[in-house]
Amino acid sequence: MISKLIFSALLMFSVSGLHAAVRVITSSQDLESIAKIIGGDKAVVESLATGDLDLHLVEPRPSMVFKVRQADMVIRIGMDLDMWMDSIIAAARNKNVTYGSPGYVDVSAGIPKLQVPEGKVDASMGDIHIFGNPHYWLDPVNGISMAETIMKGFIRVSPENEAVFRKNYTAFVKDLGDKIDEWDKKMEPFAGRTLVTYHNSWIYFSQRFHLDIVGNVEPKPGLPPTPSHLAKLIETVKAKQAKVILVDTFFPLQGPRKVAEKTGASILVVPSSVGGKPNVKNYFDLFDAIINELVSAFNK
Amino acid sequence: MFSRIFSVFVTTLIFSTYIYAQTGAPSDSSGGTPPQGMRGTPVNLPDISVVGVLKGYVSDDKSDTERNKFVVDEIETAFQGYIYPEMRADVFLALHRHDNEYEAEICEAKVGFLNLAPGVAGEVGKIHVNFGKMNKVHSHTRPMIDQPTVLTNFFGDHGLVGQGGTLSYLLPVPFYLQMEGGAWRADPHHHHTEYETVEVPDGNGGTVEVLTEAAHEDTEFSFGDEFYTARAKTSFAPVRKSEIEIGSSFAHGKGAHYEEHKDIATVYGADLTLKLWPDSYRRWTFQNEWLRLKREVPVGTLTRDGFYSFLSYRFNKYVDLGGRWDYAENAFPTKVIERAISGILSYHLTETSALRVQYKRRRVEGQTINEGWTELVFGIGPHSHELE
Repeated sequence: MISKLIFSALLMFSVSGLHAAVRVITSSQDLESIAKIIGGDKAVVESLATGDLDLHLVEPRPSMVFKVRQADMVIRIGMDLDMWMDSIIAAARNKNVTYGSPGYVDVSAGIPKLQVPEGKVDASMGDIHIFGNPHYWLDPVNGISMAETIMKGFIRVSPENEAVFRKNYTAFVKDLGDKIDEWDKKMEPFAGRTLVTYHNSWIYFSQRFHLDIVGNVEPKPGLPPTPSHLAKLIETVKAKQAKVILVDTFFPLQGPRKVAEKTGASILVVPSSVGGKPNVKNYFDLFDAIINELVSAFNK
Repeated sequence: MFSRIFSVFVTTLIFSTYIYAQTGAPSDSSGGTPPQGMRGTPVNLPDISVVGVLKGYVSDDKSDTERNKFVVDEIETAFQGYIYPEMRADVFLALHRHDNEYEAEICEAKVGFLNLAPGVAGEVGKIHVNFGKMNKVHSHTRPMIDQPTVLTNFFGDHGLVGQGGTLSYLLPVPFYLQMEGGAWRADPHHHHTEYETVEVPDGNGGTVEVLTEAAHEDTEFSFGDEFYTARAKTSFAPVRKSEIEIGSSFAHGKGAHYEEHKDIATVYGADLTLKLWPDSYRRWTFQNEWLRLKREVPVGTLTRDGFYSFLSYRFNKYVDLGGRWDYAENAFPTKVIERAISGILSYHLTETSALRVQYKRRRVEGQTINEGWTELVFGIGPHSHELE
């Protein structure tokens, strides 16, 4: 019995050593989607979190540690959004993917960051991220920078496949560029429209498509809405004529409903990540879903 | 013996880390956000944080001197940072309230070697020993206010804490399986001695009062002097958004009152935890832990058992409601069984601050005691998550 177990372990070691594809673990399905395109058939990619989860609050689990333990590359959002990845990476003891290793990829590295706080930051400001607002993937133009950072990671880990990764990256950038043109055209008529969001997660999106976010349902990032804050928000919505309340799929709807009842604004429950709704299977689907919903709401 | 083992252990850890760090491949992948403990402030400060616990306690046990008070129960400061590649230090200094007085204590002070060899990590210092599910968790990060009774009875008020080192190995098998072993030393306890005055003949037909040590046996127990621990834990996700963790633990060594009791103790533990996440915020937790203490004393072997079962439901991002059932036999001397049920309601203000209330009804030797707690836990500064 013992000899069989030892033999199985040795066999697994040898098989894993011969593994050709780059094994990639991402913290979100947005990163998984882009990494799958760049890696092509040279990579096996899996996300730890699903798109229907609040990425701030994913609970680290031993089964996640096991996946990172076996990875050649880890791709994360950074900017303190997926802080739970720190404990998973530390527990996995995989030198390929620790901070500074070739297989450690923090996609926020090349992103022009918004809302980077200045001066003292503390909990009186809510759940403020000291490195800036981390929801950068919701600007599709940032998808190009994300793809470039991921491509560089692939090349570091698997330099023999550099040509493949560069080719896949070029194709992705072209496809994304075409889609951005399409999305820009769809959103162009609605430039300057006002809206409310549940959490401060849509600043990159609104800047790209020239929308004006006039308030959040949360009084401060991460804090639940209070009656007094909702009362003020209702006044703001009326004054600024906001017609849409944008809510990520996982947030509760009680607060938005109160605002909608008093103002007549429409609640739009939209995915903020790939996997946030069943039909949102990749990074392109994500913006198709959000923009189609918004266009319908603005046209009402 | 222990000192020699410990010295060799620490030297090996440091040397291994040095060798391993030298062979690490340089890369240009360090852009982005540094992980916790590597923020690199301009003055190279470590991550510094403070956790405070304000606690109120009521009880209908009139002999309880701590009842009907609301006090600052604990203030803990943490200093955390890297001291070398893949080598970090975590120091937790605490002021605790004991018997109406505050005591300063090194809660934990440890150096962690994150990657000694493929799959191998180590820690040295004063450490909450990784025994079972709850022992390693600091009191303010527990999902309940009091410690399960079995842990108090077998390991003391602060759980099993030792000074020494531990090595853990994540086995190269196609599922999560970690083995861990540790060698520790804990300070022996001062034996609680009671004195009584007795009158003895003075030889002149009269008597004289003499102070003598009363017959007394301490009921508290924990490990003291040298002890050794081991733990194996496996975990898997049977379906997406679920996790089952199964662990077994072992501790062996001298009792904290060895000089008086000449006791050698072994504690066996088994734990099973099931977690389910129906959606982003809702979560079911069902956690169970059983411990058996075998204590060899000159007159024979005592065997004692203890168990707790904890069921909790997280309704949303902010509110948890849970219940715990305790069964615990005391460690020494004659067997006393305590059974208790608790209800726990938590409201999470932020990731580092929470309000909590707990009601507990316990039954010991035919007596029923009702207890209640309120607790405010607050955190200031960076906070690092550890795997529970």
